[in-house]
Amino acid sequence: MIPLHVNGERREAADARRNLLSYLRFDLGLTGSKYGCGEGLCGACTVLVDGQPLRACLATVGSVAGGRVTTIEGLADGDVLHAVQQAFVDESAMQCGYCIPGFVMSTVSLLERTPRPDPGQVREALSENMCRCGTYPRIERAVLRASGHTSGAAK
Amino acid sequence: MTAPAALEGLTIQGASALGLPLPSTGYARQAYGNVNPDYGPATWLRIAPDGAVTVFAGKVEYGQGIRWGLAMAAAEELGLEPADIEVVLGDTARVPWDIGTFGSQSTRHTGVQVRRAAATARQALLEAAATKLDLPPDQLTCAGGRVVSRADRARGIGFAELLGGQQISRDIADDTPLKSPDEFTVMGTDRGRVDAAQRVTGRAIYTQDVIRPGMLFARVLRPVAYGARLLRVDDSIARMMPGVFDVVNDDGLVAVLAENDQQADAAHDALMAEWEERPDSVSQWDLPGLLAEASHDPVVTQEAGDVERALERAEHRLEATYYIPYIPVAPMEPRAAVAEWHGDNLTVWAGTQRPFGVRGELAQAFQVDEAQVRVIAPEIGGGFGGKSIYRPALEAARLARIAGRPVRVAYSRSEEMTWSTFRPAALITIRSGFDGAGNITAWDYHATHTTTDRPMIGQRGSETPYEVADVRCVVASGAAPLRPGSYRSLGCAVNHFARECHIDEIAAAVGMDPVEFRLKNLPDPRYRAVLEAAAEHFGWKTAAAPSGQGYGVAIGLDVGSYAAECVAIDVQGKEIAVNRVSSAIDCGLVFNPEGVRSQMEGAIMMGLGSALFEAAEFENGRLLNGNFARYRVPRINQTPAISVALVGAQANPSTGAGEPGIVPIAPAIANALFDRTSKRIRELQLQRQL
Repeated sequence: MIPLHVNGERREAADARRNLLSYLRFDLGLTGSKYGCGEGLCGACTVLVDGQPLRACLATVGSVAGGRVTTIEGLADGDVLHAVQQAFVDESAMQCGYCIPGFVMSTVSLLERTPRPDPGQVREALSENMCRCGTYPRIERAVLRASGHTSGAAK
Repeated sequence: MTAPAALEGLTIQGASALGLPLPSTGYARQAYGNVNPDYGPATWLRIAPDGAVTVFAGKVEYGQGIRWGLAMAAAEELGLEPADIEVVLGDTARVPWDIGTFGSQSTRHTGVQVRRAAATARQALLEAAATKLDLPPDQLTCAGGRVVSRADRARGIGFAELLGGQQISRDIADDTPLKSPDEFTVMGTDRGRVDAAQRVTGRAIYTQDVIRPGMLFARVLRPVAYGARLLRVDDSIARMMPGVFDVVNDDGLVAVLAENDQQADAAHDALMAEWEERPDSVSQWDLPGLLAEASHDPVVTQEAGDVERALERAEHRLEATYYIPYIPVAPMEPRAAVAEWHGDNLTVWAGTQRPFGVRGELAQAFQVDEAQVRVIAPEIGGGFGGKSIYRPALEAARLARIAGRPVRVAYSRSEEMTWSTFRPAALITIRSGFDGAGNITAWDYHATHTTTDRPMIGQRGSETPYEVADVRCVVASGAAPLRPGSYRSLGCAVNHFARECHIDEIAAAVGMDPVEFRLKNLPDPRYRAVLEAAAEHFGWKTAAAPSGQGYGVAIGLDVGSYAAECVAIDVQGKEIAVNRVSSAIDCGLVFNPEGVRSQMEGAIMMGLGSALFEAAEFENGRLLNGNFARYRVPRINQTPAISVALVGAQANPSTGAGEPGIVPIAPAIANALFDRTSKRIRELQLQRQL
């Protein structure tokens, strides 16, 4: 059995070779992390493991054994959205929304490392997340908005 | 949908199958077939006894924000906030029949019907309240979930109190009075997206996320190449692999069914298949030549005067050929379907743009009544037209019937890229005549689109809006080695690329500024207005190209709306950077300005990809770039500063907003490239040709 924490809950996974994204989505029902490419190139499956961003589609459960996994479902505090989520809502920074969980998780990670990024740093940090609807101008605004409110609020 | 039963509360019914028959219906029939309209009546709006308002519409939400726009429309007429309105979409068991979500028709047809439904509900509420408040209906209004006196807002009654214990049913009349734009307090204002919270928390459910009890995971065996025929398949190893429930081989459909996705993938990889490939498959390199050599079924889309004589007599002549390759749609969510049978009743979750069309296809395939099939389109992770044709629904339904358990078919990224449809390619030759003063005297347009059985796609937007007495526009069909399908603005954007580049070439030949040249030859005032607005926001300074500045302009008309875009680019080595885009759109009455801006931004970003570096690469019947390692799409660090000016007169009816933004962007960038480098590139992708 592989022990790990998912969104604060202790879990035990049966198979170390189980794909982490499939485990989260189909075994735990946490479908907020999305499958987009299976190659780690679109960022839709981004989760945090011990605070570090990880492309879940390329990881196995065994590779994160003992780790603390945070998915998009674990970000809000009850009905109170995380500052990054709230900023995406405030900027209507989404269209189809399929990529948005990945963008939100990548942004949380960016703001942990760089609490006040400039636009260039935002664009650099998020250039490995894809949005096919072309919501990029709004996403950039949302990240900058979140960075103004994030100190202390980030979990 | 059957006539609704009497329910407590207020029920508003009206006709379905909106927009039929319209000219676009011919297109839709031709493009998608299987149109079996149900004209209703159906329930469009309900106010429950507790006052909760629900709107029902047959459109689907795939990012364009129709839920947002319809909530604003209903909120406006009922004096509520958009967030107060629940909007049920795309579930054939619950919503009015609809032809499909494409062609930017949702606001102009469904949006108007929802306004009428809400206005009918308002009238019913006012009449019901009149007796209770002892005031005539015309002295009442709806505000904040109550009917109140116009004179004294404190005097009123809540929707719930008014409707409790009542069964009121009303029919929508075509002449239902709607609020006029000068009374709007919700429509035309900036309101936040109504479904935002679900999308940032992961609670929004897409087809890829649908999990049913006892569901099997399928992996379908796909051909090694387009047109390849399966000779035999050995599944003996696959059958022994862990978790495998069955390997189905049924009339051309071969699939592994397993208890989880990884087991299905592993067993699929253990299938040993032998294929017979077609010897005559066309490669991307052959296609322009094939289109030049052979085109068929020419259709004249515009003709006046005698173009051959005008060309002969022209002071100057220009002839140029443009090529636009195939591109895949590549939405973020690869298509998927989950099917579940209960006896002869079938439920399929399918992220299609045509839930009712897919329902008809399924009913036909299984020889059951349409009423026995329910298709639910959950949230859709992008589609841009491409999810109109939707094959996994039938695959999942067939497999579920065989297995006797619910089955999920979810395409991988490479299946999505390889086995969906492509925006058709085209080869377009334009011969023009003009004089030294900048008057166009002849326009001969000949396009061959790879559209085979769907010639309407290529005809869209092939006419010229510029003043010219002698004109002939002809659109024909040519070889289609890849399966053509819908795409944002498809043929229209392709035709505009050639025309707007050619117009720029004429302007340069006569030494005129490209904005000035267009204005000189453009009679339509709505067209002129968007061009002037875009140029003004851009800060366009008159100069003939090539000026070295890297500025380009183009205009477009699609789905009834006018658009213009000015771009500023720079070239560094082999990279083209688009730094700035100033756009303007006239789409008539705007329900949701933030929605329109959002669609324009998205269309510009999508068009930037198809202009610079997106194209399907194929050889020997294989797609060579069917994954994101080999297929480049625009990223956030390539995003220009984008401005969107909304310039339409609000007295004009609403027209489409989802597509027009993509139409001018590719020619505007090509024209800017000429302005910057003096190099005229007539073939997409521009970056590859640089």
